[in-house]
Amino acid sequence: MKTREDLIVSALNGRLHELRRKHILRLAADSFCEDAAFVLQMQKQLADASLECMGALPLLINAWMDCETDCLSSLRALSLGEPLRLREAMPPAAESLLRALDEHKRNPEQRFRLLTDRYSCPLNVALASENEICEHILARLMVQDRAAIERESLSTVCADDLLLKLNLVAIAARIKSDLRFLDALNYYYELLPADWVPRANDAWLLASYLGLYARALAVRILRNQTIAHSDTREHSARRAADL
Amino acid sequence: MRIAILANTLPAALPIYEELKRDSDSEVFIILCPVSPDSALRELFRHCARWILKRARWQSLRLLLEGRVFYFHNTLDHPKSLTRLSKLNLELGLHKSGTIYRESTINCFRLGILNAHIGMLPAYRGRSVMEWAVLEGNELGISVFFIDAGIDTGKRIILSEKVDISHCESLAGAKQYLFSLDAVFYRRALDLVSSGQMHYKQNDLSGRRYYVMSKLFNDVAEKVLSISNQQSATSNR
Repeated sequence: MKTREDLIVSALNGRLHELRRKHILRLAADSFCEDAAFVLQMQKQLADASLECMGALPLLINAWMDCETDCLSSLRALSLGEPLRLREAMPPAAESLLRALDEHKRNPEQRFRLLTDRYSCPLNVALASENEICEHILARLMVQDRAAIERESLSTVCADDLLLKLNLVAIAARIKSDLRFLDALNYYYELLPADWVPRANDAWLLASYLGLYARALAVRILRNQTIAHSDTREHSARRAADL
Repeated sequence: MRIAILANTLPAALPIYEELKRDSDSEVFIILCPVSPDSALRELFRHCARWILKRARWQSLRLLLEGRVFYFHNTLDHPKSLTRLSKLNLELGLHKSGTIYRESTINCFRLGILNAHIGMLPAYRGRSVMEWAVLEGNELGISVFFIDAGIDTGKRIILSEKVDISHCESLAGAKQYLFSLDAVFYRRALDLVSSGQMHYKQNDLSGRRYYVMSKLFNDVAEKVLSISNQQSATSNR
């Protein structure tokens, strides 16, 4: 009989296949203007990549890191599976950012700035010390933004702000074992129209989010396959012991 | 004790009303309130339509005539509603509406407002918690707790109990079954509150806040439920 882990792997495999073939490869690179080359590069890379290659985790960090590039350049690199140049640094206080995010809850441009300033190394978002901010980003996506899109339309939310949050959640989904982050991406995949071309300053964030989503799915599939196999081995061993 | 069931529709409140009136000395009222600040006339029209279309219409009429039902034109946090609520001198509210309560509304009830949440607290807060518990292979149940202004963050849990759903054929059926138990759970919680020997379980927020589940994971949860029900049917045989 199929286990829970098997069922999850099977669903995620189906989604990954659909995401690559029907979504990422069908992105019209031309509509991303000067970022068309980036979109083409990502499409080419994800078209042929093996599950193991896509699911290779970025450098796992357990302390705050500064990055030589800014947040948006780092996101581009991570979505292409490229390494970041990092150096350990002192973490900035989380409370002040949370307060600032709350103060600017109706100012998406300012929120975008606050998040990009903090996460020049976007991998930091998955650190335990960033849990509250990560939860805040997840809650904004799944409550306010989702409700606004479902009740009214996609044009009611700021595309840059929405896509940045989806990119950061995709990084968290890739590193954390908590399924809620991956499911936020599942939900938005079902919610956003496949042919959506965002009216945004950084419309390429749509492509990087899809690339990071594909990588998060691959990580989870590989992780669940390991769990399912170890469960099966344990089960067989238990049966043998019973006999 | 003066208790009010806070609901958006009369049919939703009736099962709780009947359960509480079974053998209780409490005075039970129903407060009908709109979810959002909509047109009062439209809201009244909806109530009339429901009265005509739904079952138990004579029971509803009886309650209306007995003065047990209060119809609020405004949302519960509106100043007019707050004044009216304070005048009703209520001790306890029972949540059966789609409203998120503000502190000012909660403070109109001497003891507070209870919520029968279809998930085990403190582990499962927020939306789609039943589906998430199925997907994660954890216990399903109902928790009755005193609401605060957050999402399932009220500190005082009166009871949190596992519920068997192995007879339910689908997630929707299981959810409906859990919702249908709210009247019984409210009554049990009231008995505990009235006994004066309450030992609250603390909601320490150690769990997670969950959100509406994607279709992809919802389908997986549906299959998990079906398989685990087959397994429990086999082991019962």
